[in-house]
Amino acid sequence: MAKMLNQGIEQQVRQVLNEMVEPVEILLFTSASENCEYCEQTRELLEEIVPLSAKLSLQVHDISAAAELAEQYHVDKTPGIVLAGRQGSQTIDYGIRIAGIPAGHEFTSLIHSLVLVSRRASGLSEATRGYLKTLQKPLHLQVFVTPT
Amino acid sequence: MLATQMALESEWVQAETVQASEFPELAEQYGVSGVPHTSINFGAGEMIGAAPEAMLVDEIRRALANEQK
Repeated sequence: MAKMLNQGIEQQVRQVLNEMVEPVEILLFTSASENCEYCEQTRELLEEIVPLSAKLSLQVHDISAAAELAEQYHVDKTPGIVLAGRQGSQTIDYGIRIAGIPAGHEFTSLIHSLVLVSRRASGLSEATRGYLKTLQKPLHLQVFVTPT
Repeated sequence: MLATQMALESEWVQAETVQASEFPELAEQYGVSGVPHTSINFGAGEMIGAAPEAMLVDEIRRALANEQK
């Protein structure tokens, strides 16, 4: 089975992931049915990324078999990815989700998001952080992207 | 990335990156043509293109205010 990431990319990813601070847990929800065209590839991709840092770990769940867990994480699409913090045995959910295979430009975004989550700090401006502090109810942001 | 940063910052925020090509019905529901297309609270507001931080915050403000009406 040919690898998805060539050696050059692997090296680059390894270098970026060196910047990780705290551990990050990736949860992947897949479905076995034919409906999920990219589930297998997404799984392979994540399985190639995770070994590139000691601060990364991966859980793979079937969305039907682990329905309760999927509901807990509000995952309703497959492949569905959760980027969470890991603290000892605890998983910290920051509400970060990816639906669909993180390919092309989104691959770069994924790697940077892993480093971001590991920093546990958003890097947003003081003004934005101040605004977010005023929130009193859920804010759901869905960013539609394409792999090209 | 901005949405992801906001989710990390606030417990109230959830940021979901959705591959439009894999979820075409959802993309159509929100009238997605150009990407990135950010839908705020399931259509209460939207931002088309990669907006700078302050602009996204403004649109979020407006979307949430509109929801109150």
